[in-house]
Amino acid sequence: MPIVAVAIGAVVAIIVLIIIFKAIWRVAEPNEALIISGLGAKAHNRDTAESLGFKITTGKGTMVLPGFQTCRRLSLDTRVSGLEVTCVTSQGIKVHVRGVVIYKVGDDFSSIANAARRFLDQQKMMDDKTHQLFAGHLRSIVGNLTVEDLLRDRDRLTNQVRTSSADEMGKLGLVVDSLQIQDIEDEVGYIDNLGKPNSAAVASAARIAEAQRNQEATQAEQMAEQANAAQIRDTEIKKRQYQGQVDQAAAEARQQVITKETKNAELEADRREKALEAEVRKPADAKAYERVTLAEAERKAAVAQAQAEAEATKINGQAEAEATRMKGIAEAEAIKARADALAENQEAVIAQQLAERWPEIVEAGAGVFGNVDNMVVLNGAEGVEDMLAKALTLGGTGLGVARQLLSTMNGQRSADASASNGKLVPVESDPDTK
Amino acid sequence: MARAWAKEDAVVGRQGRVTGKIGPGLVGEVMIPIRGGVEAFYAYSAIQGEEIPVGSLVVVMDYHPPRTVYVSSASI
Repeated sequence: MPIVAVAIGAVVAIIVLIIIFKAIWRVAEPNEALIISGLGAKAHNRDTAESLGFKITTGKGTMVLPGFQTCRRLSLDTRVSGLEVTCVTSQGIKVHVRGVVIYKVGDDFSSIANAARRFLDQQKMMDDKTHQLFAGHLRSIVGNLTVEDLLRDRDRLTNQVRTSSADEMGKLGLVVDSLQIQDIEDEVGYIDNLGKPNSAAVASAARIAEAQRNQEATQAEQMAEQANAAQIRDTEIKKRQYQGQVDQAAAEARQQVITKETKNAELEADRREKALEAEVRKPADAKAYERVTLAEAERKAAVAQAQAEAEATKINGQAEAEATRMKGIAEAEAIKARADALAENQEAVIAQQLAERWPEIVEAGAGVFGNVDNMVVLNGAEGVEDMLAKALTLGGTGLGVARQLLSTMNGQRSADASASNGKLVPVESDPDTK
Repeated sequence: MARAWAKEDAVVGRQGRVTGKIGPGLVGEVMIPIRGGVEAFYAYSAIQGEEIPVGSLVVVMDYHPPRTVYVSSASI
């Protein structure tokens, strides 16, 4: 039992010792510094040989007396602060610069002491303060540089950063590891214009080269085409020449054939002519001669016959003429005798003539009745006969009237004849026509 | 022990490499191996008017806390 109690007591004692040790022993990690102040915590600055008034411990453990001393930790980590500043370069060009500054608390005791005095309770605000500090520095840095330097001359930029910020950063115990400018924007297009000459030169060179190559290519193509065309032309010419020769030979051959054929045809024609002469002409000549001879004979026969007939007709005619003349003489004598007779007895002639004209007279008499619209004959048919007879007897009694009638009719007739025969057509002598 | 520790942290006498041109009117920068790492210090020339180009080796002649050193060219 006592062994157990001793063991337990030992364990408890060890635990208590560990707890106490933990309470008074602090270890500084590689990225931090312990700032110990209080009773007996004094260290001498090795370089300045001055008392700091507090103890700085880095990279090892140290004993802190609880209640008499306080221990605070200061981070030595790298810190980053973004910067965004609108400022003016040395050429007066307004630029908007975005950058970043990387800094830390210096590793030497002087820097740690300076930083500890300033930032120990405000480690979170260190970024903000540094930002404000560096914004001002960046403004002055950019103000000393040109845009071209900002873009290209990194050496000058870092040099300016050191020149302008070294002392102030020393006061704060900070070290600038790096200052990077991430982006520069200018409102007037200065940076764009900086690049334009080069890009334009490159673009123009590219276009020139392209145009030249194009030209060469086109030239080569055209030359090839020319050569092709010339070749084709030569070939065509040769073809035509040979074709011409072939055609000529063919034509000549054909000509010979035609000549032969023509000769053949001529010979044939000759042959046929001869044959025709032998077969047709000679017989035709013979026949014609025969017919001519026959026709001549016929003609002579016909002439002889006609002469004979004419002779006969002439003789007949003479006989007939004689007969007719004799007959005429006889008739003339008869007429003359009759005329004599008429001259002796005119009344008889007139009666004869009246008898010849009797129908016309009756017609004229009937014309009287033609003017009567209604004729009432009381005695019937006998009455009409009676009346006609009276009218005729009246006419008969009025022979004078009849004679007059006849003479007028004769006169009318002669007048008509004379009018138709001897009508005088007066020739109008028109002076205009002459 | 404190002496050794102090010696270990001493900047003066160390060699460094110029990363920012040192010259009149300029604040140069040197990288100096110290405390197991390499730290950048603001550098001025120890000789008046001397120009030390980037990449030269320098020796720290003097140290002004917190971050300033005066250097002289180490390569002849």
